[in-house]
Amino acid sequence: YVTTILEDAKIYSSHAKKSSVDADDVRLAIQCRTDQSFTSPPPRDVGGNVTVSLQFLLDIARQKNQTPLPLIKPYSGPRLPPDRYCLTAPNYRLKSLQKKVSSSAGRITVPRLSVGAVSSRPSTPTLGTPSAQTVSVSTKVGTPVSLTGQRFTVQIPSSQAAVKSATPTTPTVQNVLINPSLIGPKNILITTNMVSSQNTSNESNPLKRKHEDDDDYDNL
Amino acid sequence: GGSVATVASSSPGVAAVATVPPGKGGARAGTAGSLPGAGLLGTGGPLCLSQPWGFAVMLGHKVGGGVVVEDQPDVSAVLSAYNQQGDPTLYEEYYSGLKNFIECSLDCHRAELSQLFYPLFVHMYLELVYNQHESEAKSFFERFHGDQECYYQDDLRVLSSLTKKEHMKGNETMLDFRTSKFVLRISRDSYQLLKRHLQEKQNNQIWNIVQEHLYIDIFDGMPRSKQQIDAMVGSLAGEAKREANKAKVFFGLLKEPEFDVPLDDEDEEGENEEGKPKKKKPKKDSVGSKSKKQDPNAPPQNRIPLPELKDSDKLDKVMNMKEAARRVRLGPECLPSICFYTFLNAYQGLTAVDITDDSSMIVGGFADSTVRVWSVTPKKLRSVKTAADLSLIDKESDDVLERIMDEKTASELKILYGHSGPVYGTSFSPDRNYLLSCSEDGTVRLWSLQTFTCLVGYKGHNYPVWDTQFSPYGYYFVSGGHDRVARLWATDHYQPLRIFAGHLADVTCTRFHPNSNYIATGSADRTIRLWDVLNGNCVRIFTGHKGPIHSLAFSPNGRFLATGATDGRVLLWDIGHGLMVGELKGHTDTIYALRFSRDGEILASGSMDNTVRLWDAVKAFEDLETDDFTTATGHINLPENSQDLLLGTYMTKSTPVVHLHFTRRNLLLAAGAYSSQ
Repeated sequence: YVTTILEDAKIYSSHAKKSSVDADDVRLAIQCRTDQSFTSPPPRDVGGNVTVSLQFLLDIARQKNQTPLPLIKPYSGPRLPPDRYCLTAPNYRLKSLQKKVSSSAGRITVPRLSVGAVSSRPSTPTLGTPSAQTVSVSTKVGTPVSLTGQRFTVQIPSSQAAVKSATPTTPTVQNVLINPSLIGPKNILITTNMVSSQNTSNESNPLKRKHEDDDDYDNL
Repeated sequence: GGSVATVASSSPGVAAVATVPPGKGGARAGTAGSLPGAGLLGTGGPLCLSQPWGFAVMLGHKVGGGVVVEDQPDVSAVLSAYNQQGDPTLYEEYYSGLKNFIECSLDCHRAELSQLFYPLFVHMYLELVYNQHESEAKSFFERFHGDQECYYQDDLRVLSSLTKKEHMKGNETMLDFRTSKFVLRISRDSYQLLKRHLQEKQNNQIWNIVQEHLYIDIFDGMPRSKQQIDAMVGSLAGEAKREANKAKVFFGLLKEPEFDVPLDDEDEEGENEEGKPKKKKPKKDSVGSKSKKQDPNAPPQNRIPLPELKDSDKLDKVMNMKEAARRVRLGPECLPSICFYTFLNAYQGLTAVDITDDSSMIVGGFADSTVRVWSVTPKKLRSVKTAADLSLIDKESDDVLERIMDEKTASELKILYGHSGPVYGTSFSPDRNYLLSCSEDGTVRLWSLQTFTCLVGYKGHNYPVWDTQFSPYGYYFVSGGHDRVARLWATDHYQPLRIFAGHLADVTCTRFHPNSNYIATGSADRTIRLWDVLNGNCVRIFTGHKGPIHSLAFSPNGRFLATGATDGRVLLWDIGHGLMVGELKGHTDTIYALRFSRDGEILASGSMDNTVRLWDAVKAFEDLETDDFTTATGHINLPENSQDLLLGTYMTKSTPVVHLHFTRRNLLLAAGAYSSQ
């Protein structure tokens, strides 16, 4: 810690074209480090002081406590926040195979390996495609998985991209589900070998709409 | 680590260890006639007041005309409290002048007036430090810190390290202490005496300081004795104003739904005598209130939204009532047996324990950030099958709940990984489907006990979360942490529903009232606050502990609260009247576990001193002198009856007690980690 601070202070003093490090540099270095490494909730007062006063806490508490408690819907199954705030989605994606499969023509299948995924619907735990348990079916036209949002969707080839479709014509299938909230958008486990870059921009629309609903991917 | 259950049955007559409560005895040298530093102002006697105050020329005049502050102008409102009163070099004079006056006052008033010493000392010292009069601050501290009450020693140690203004800036607790007023409760007579003295011309400076930093809550009645005062002071903000404890609190229980309990399936244990006809009338629920009329002290049923009763909940209630019928009635003549679950090989890493209401599972939170769930009964823990397998089962079969479980995953222990810091609090949901854990990493995690995976991470506290608990009806939960607030959450909201702000230091313990309408929080500022879930208001403030509070327990009837802290005392509070009604002395170290028996007859306390103590709760709460008068004054006479109330002390072999739980039949379970020291 001390070494880091002193090094920073040296940098500041040389920036200010001083011949030696003095106390002000050290103070500045400490302050900058504190802001970075020890985050604190935004303080009420600006300028230098990063502590949170009781008055500030009382203010935000008053604001928060004004809203009445939400009513509870009866019979709504496991009560969890919207999926994107949960850790319930699979956090991996399986590699696609090159070979063609004809069975799922006309359908997008979303195999769900329910490791850690308690269904957030009260319905029965069965899923649409018991067969696609392991490796995915192939893709003819690959589509990249968009990781812009925290939502998981199946990609639809470019011709269908604008339509939130239920029945795309081409059997592009991808086991796409990645939970960025667990891994972070950078940790793409496997990328497909077929990428058509024009799809990325088009996908944002169907993605965006899906942000709104709480339903999971059964209806894809 | 593994766990071993050691059964230690209690027998009446185990030697009770009587210990002298810590903190008594004189660390104060303030007896009349022997004043340290008396040399400056001469000997005692009324004439000591007419000392050379003449040179205190700054009557009402601020030297320096306010302090130059380099902070932004919008904080000037806060910082106006930092303007110093008077000449810093004379602070010592002011303080010793007051000291002399108080030492010389009448005995009956002295105890009450002595309450001024500590807050004035701290405020004056902090003022000197904040205004950068370091040398004056240092000598002020040296001179007077030894006079303070012994229970403030920890604070004084912290204070002694605060020698520069920069030190104060980073310490939120100290800053809030500076800006809030320390509350003192003094009888009217004593107050008149003080006021008369301080308003004399030469003492005006101290009067200004008193007005600046202290809030004197006057009550009509007899001045309190030192003993009474010592019981109730100790918190960082002084005592509680009577006003703070005036709001109506609905401490009654919610009405339980009535249903007929079919008693057709008999138990194999054969509690009935042979030959007796096994005809039994279906029993009505006796857990809730018996009368059809609404209990005036109970909250309306829909005061806060509560989840509806599911079929599984109803089944659970039926089980509960059946067990309740077989419950052992405890009392001084019939003490509970204690079954102790010792965590071995935990190497001081056991930081949290919880047991389900039906005593079927026990969870441990550990410093290595794991959460481990064990099954207490012979039935192993299983997780649900994978989705593929679930599609294959027959959903119409009677034992579908068994069939969804995957036999291959059966084990006694399940380890849950996910937190990135020590787990400081754990809580099972009442329906045993969920588990909560809170950790130093600032999150509260919800785990499913059907798949043994993490479902949600609730982020709100950005600092360590010290405690969390599910509501007795499920759905809601509360958490409290280092950020000095407690938060109320619902499992289906990713942000908190309520924020309970008011404590000056970390919130270390959070508990729901049995009717789920109120939350009690214990804090490192040595107060306990009771909050209303409906609107977030603080409805009660209880002071009296001399150290951070680590355990809270509501009595099953909802009327009383028991609290335990690092000072080794268990304090009992009447919630309705807002008064301290009992003080149980005996433990010699921090009390981490408190639990009332199922019908509220016995209070069990577990401590770091490796003992479990049982106290007679019925006797502690009978014949209380709580009426309108005492409620107005704010205190009752506490009898010195700890010894009478202590029913038994049970020692473990160097295992601090971290958790206590009464089973539905009133068997006491205790848990702790063996520590070889």
